[in-house]
Amino acid sequence: MFRRFAFGGLSPFAAVLFCTALGLALQNYFKYVIAIVLVSMVIGVALVVLVGLARCITLATGAVMAIGAYTSTLLMTRIGIPYLIGLFCAAATGALAGWLIALPGTRFRGHNLAMVTLVFQAVAIILLREAKWLTGGAEGIHVPQPVIFGWRVATDADFLVLIGLLSALVILLVTILTRGPFGKNLQAASGNEIAAEAFGVSVPAYLRAAFVISSMVIGFSGALAAPRIRILDPESFGVLPSIFMLAYPIVGGMQSVWGGLLGGGGLRILPELLRPVADFQELFFASLVIAVVMFFPGGMVELLRRSTGRVFSRRNKQRAGEASLLPAIIPPEPTVHVWPTVPANSSEVLLRVEGIDRHFGALHAVNAASITVPIGGIHGLIGPNGAGKTSLFNIISGFLEAEQGHIDFAGTSLLDRPARDRIALGITRTFQHVAVFGQLSCLENVIIGRGRNAVMDSIKQSFDHFVGGRAREAAIRDALAALDAVGLADQASMPASSLSLGNQRRLELARAIVSNPRLILLDEPVSGLASAEVEELRQLLLRTNAERQIAMLVVEHNIPFVAKLCRTLSVMGAGAIVAEGNPEEVIARPGVRQLYFGEAAA
Amino acid sequence: MLVEFGLVLLAGLKFGAIYALAALGLVVVHKATKTVNFAHGAFAMLGAFASFLIVVHWQWPYWTAYLLIPLTIGAVAALLEFLVLRPLRRADMFTVVIATVFLGIALGEAFRLTYNTELLAVPGMFVGEPFIYWGVIITQETLWVIAGALVIAVGCVVLFRYGKLGRGMRAMAASVRGAQICGYSVDQVYMVAWGLGGALAGLAGVFVAPMAGVSVELSIAVITAGFVAGVLGGFDSLKGAILGGLLLGVIESLAAAYISSAMKNCVSFFLLFFVLMWRPEGLFPEKVARRV
Amino acid sequence: MTRFSERCVYLASVVIALAVSCASCPSTAEEQGVSATGITIGGMGALTGPTAFIGTPGRDGMMLAINEINEKGGVCGRKLTLQFEHASSPAESLAAVKKLTEQDKVFVMVLASGSTGAAAAADYVRANGIPTYNLYGSTPIIREPFAKNVFHGAIVPVEVAVRDLIAMFYDDGGNPQKFGILAGTYAFPQATLTAVEAYLKENKADYVVERFDQSARDFTSQLVSLSRQKVDSVLILGSFSEAGFAIKQAREIGMSNVRWVLDGSAVSKAIIPILGNADGLRGYFNVPYFPGQTASMREFEERLKSLIGSMPQGRPNNYDMIAYGSVFVIAEAIKATGCDLTWPKLISAWENLKEAGPTKMGGLDVSFSESYTPTDHQGNYRLGAAIVRNGEWQVYRVLDKP
Repeated sequence: MFRRFAFGGLSPFAAVLFCTALGLALQNYFKYVIAIVLVSMVIGVALVVLVGLARCITLATGAVMAIGAYTSTLLMTRIGIPYLIGLFCAAATGALAGWLIALPGTRFRGHNLAMVTLVFQAVAIILLREAKWLTGGAEGIHVPQPVIFGWRVATDADFLVLIGLLSALVILLVTILTRGPFGKNLQAASGNEIAAEAFGVSVPAYLRAAFVISSMVIGFSGALAAPRIRILDPESFGVLPSIFMLAYPIVGGMQSVWGGLLGGGGLRILPELLRPVADFQELFFASLVIAVVMFFPGGMVELLRRSTGRVFSRRNKQRAGEASLLPAIIPPEPTVHVWPTVPANSSEVLLRVEGIDRHFGALHAVNAASITVPIGGIHGLIGPNGAGKTSLFNIISGFLEAEQGHIDFAGTSLLDRPARDRIALGITRTFQHVAVFGQLSCLENVIIGRGRNAVMDSIKQSFDHFVGGRAREAAIRDALAALDAVGLADQASMPASSLSLGNQRRLELARAIVSNPRLILLDEPVSGLASAEVEELRQLLLRTNAERQIAMLVVEHNIPFVAKLCRTLSVMGAGAIVAEGNPEEVIARPGVRQLYFGEAAA
Repeated sequence: MLVEFGLVLLAGLKFGAIYALAALGLVVVHKATKTVNFAHGAFAMLGAFASFLIVVHWQWPYWTAYLLIPLTIGAVAALLEFLVLRPLRRADMFTVVIATVFLGIALGEAFRLTYNTELLAVPGMFVGEPFIYWGVIITQETLWVIAGALVIAVGCVVLFRYGKLGRGMRAMAASVRGAQICGYSVDQVYMVAWGLGGALAGLAGVFVAPMAGVSVELSIAVITAGFVAGVLGGFDSLKGAILGGLLLGVIESLAAAYISSAMKNCVSFFLLFFVLMWRPEGLFPEKVARRV
Repeated sequence: MTRFSERCVYLASVVIALAVSCASCPSTAEEQGVSATGITIGGMGALTGPTAFIGTPGRDGMMLAINEINEKGGVCGRKLTLQFEHASSPAESLAAVKKLTEQDKVFVMVLASGSTGAAAAADYVRANGIPTYNLYGSTPIIREPFAKNVFHGAIVPVEVAVRDLIAMFYDDGGNPQKFGILAGTYAFPQATLTAVEAYLKENKADYVVERFDQSARDFTSQLVSLSRQKVDSVLILGSFSEAGFAIKQAREIGMSNVRWVLDGSAVSKAIIPILGNADGLRGYFNVPYFPGQTASMREFEERLKSLIGSMPQGRPNNYDMIAYGSVFVIAEAIKATGCDLTWPKLISAWENLKEAGPTKMGGLDVSFSESYTPTDHQGNYRLGAAIVRNGEWQVYRVLDKP
């Protein structure tokens, strides 16, 4: 039943082959144009990964293309290396270029990132131009005709076939990655960095991977186009062409491979279409981009979808198809972790926080704080604003470093471990300002919650998904079960951003429980909710704790909620733990009441 | 030897003053609206072109250029903000970047189509005898550009810091909702910010026209230099924009003279890179906020 | 969208794109580019962008000549038509020549683009055999290896230009002791620089080289260096805007007593307003007279103005006149086929042309006449040595093949 999702995403691949076939039926001039357009489609697709999914602006596309093109050409002319190998070398140098850009690049966002890529672009072109002894300098070099296993690629038809087949292949590979867990995790990493880190998605690693993969493809495309154009000169790969290529994903549509195809193909064919008004070509191009950006924010892909009268996207339909598996769901077998079952009121300690200290300048934010959470327990942490709860919480969840103290989780120390390691140990969390991955569907959000989100893992999983492996079915099943547990199973295919705040909090909870963790850290889970929803969430948490044996540490301001939920409670004031114990008893203490209400001691 | 150094330094300051004006306009717009206006260079080009029209074509007195052009280009910029940027206010950063980039390209192309020429020459305002100090020849034009551009830049900083306008812009940048509650209108503040940025760009154009001529390349040169200078100085720092611009001009000139004239762009880019890596807040940032 | 409907949409967009390109599909013709009433000449060059100052005059000059020839009855009883395609990058250049040759099926191909465009088209036109006229490209890639169907017109090979450039330093009692060369880092000045350095080394001349980026406006560092090395003769390889600002700044830093010689593309009216007083500047010009210097040049300027409407600053430049003259050369070659309009006949008629030029067919005397032989397809070896006198450029002597 799941097999029908195997080999999905072949349509861009098929479209490229179709264009190639179409070109073969036409005259030589059209063969040439289509070949050039196909290369631009490849570039568009690569840029969708980097600019669309990873949301990294890049002005270095021209330089990376140049690096790929010069690599393969110089290897051919100077060392006599055959073209196919030269192509792979071009991909390799492109990947190296991407890695070099990413080294500083992943530290920045926005216009600082644009600057870093601009530096790379400008310096690379200057070096190419100045290394006259190697690259022929500003006058450029002549690219010889490639020979592949004795087949001399000379005619327009030859080139079209070569470029068409290789482009289709590369686009297929990128499609596999973007549709699979790699693409989803990448969108998560760029959409909400903190939440991504909390679930094992290393943001720097994914952004670096996005740079490397897209640059690999762009370098490859440069080498692919070089023999077609016969001449390489540094000027054709300057800043202005890079800016024009940046428009490909933005005009085409930033979230899907089709955006790259339509943007790259559509914009590249424009100069040929505008030949009768060539004087106005650049003005037209610029105006077109501005118009699309102003009036069609989703790009050409969105425009085409709307004009074909579909309300839901194809992806939503697919997701809806997946969600229709719901009626057959049986209670989940835990496929991720199996922890030993322990009775709910066990006194064995799961999380031991001891003597944590943290300053911010002169402010002693956390003062020798200690907390214990038993296995399967529900522990609350309350205190007035500025008491240091959030800081302590962030230290436990790995987003802040402690200066002193210990945190012991079932025998493992949590200190000096980055946040992204938590999920593998069995700790997940929710966030005070709800941090779902808005562009992904609820199902995809929860699937990320399962963990095992390292870059190489997700790449392998993406290929596995493409050939219809079992892992995908297991992931969907677990995720649906978690959604069902929080009552969101019918929203599985909806984008997370379309949910109400209450439902988004449930989604966060589903994402936190799907990996069957041992401990969930909940940061103000009911803030902003109406009292009916507060009650529902409380019931949900109690049920989850009972059914799945998950311990919880809850930071909250809502005292009645905390009193009815938690079995034990700590109170923080001015950075220190001032009271601890059973909720009713702790709340009644005069010291605690004074902290909150300023009451005089009774 | 020293004379040479003096000449090179002076040239660096001259272009640096232009970069400072350009960067200032960029930073003003960014401070108020959180967007980088990549069409800034095109505004400078339009300012230079207007200067050509006033001085060469219509032969009005030169000082009228300095008065009319900032007003006109500022108005054009405000109009473009209203037409193009306002609908994009909710869009994400890429969309705005691409919109302003291509707006700049469109303006450049429109100019080229109406006045199809490679370069238009504009005479300087002061063409008298140069001064000679310690063997270094300082033309009147050089003095005018350095002094004039810097005075205007500093004046702008003062206006921003102490004027009501500036307060509104800074408030808007810190919190749009908060500023609205205090009675500032987003539409008004954004338009004024763009107007001011455009005026500064236009002025930069008038100053640079005798030095570089009017051409589409001017637009690209100004935005690149302005952006790099802005980042060098610290992108939300007004004094950083001015100092960054001067620094960039001087470094470029010294690099061309003492390292390699072909690689002078490389040197400025390396400097930029170092600043980004080791002082991403810029070399001359404004007050550093404490993060709690 | 389902897979099927996606593909439909894609197919539709591609078909629309192709349909629009087909809008300029060729009409039926007996012989490529030749019909009973017309002969189509194809042209390719940049109409926008930084090299538009080459392509646009190319198109305009060709158009002017074609109109004049058609008014006098055309050639071989047929009217000439021009199909000009814009191309600025190498990819576009190749697309343009393919379209012109295969879709528009022109009879003659004229390359009115700079060196990189001509280089991109080179392999294709050689393989294809279409009679090709390279107007402006000086790069070796278009010239070597020799191809029977490629002809080079007014722009001389770079070695010839270099010899004449250096010769101008010795004119009128000049006695250069040390040369300074200010060269742009981009393609065309670098090509010239290589030839200049080779020539100067051969003649054991003392020289230094300083470089600047394309569109640079600050030359202080380079000039200071040249000044320090006591250079008295400076050759500038770049555009008129670069040369203009360089010389202006040189004066500002006190560099006087320097003879300035400019490479061809800097020799333009537009450099004079940059400097105010440009007297004494020299450079070579690719046609025998400067605009305004003779009656026929003034007439040419008038006719060009009525063709294109207003005269942009700096026009007419040498590319206008070269393009104009070239069309007459083509017309003469066509006539010399005896109206047997095939490619082989055209090529053999062309390579036997002697002193072909506009005056022979009633055109204005604005370009050097061209002569070809079957082994030498370079039509013109002459250059005009020009100097600015009283605020105007004038060609003061013609330099010929020694």
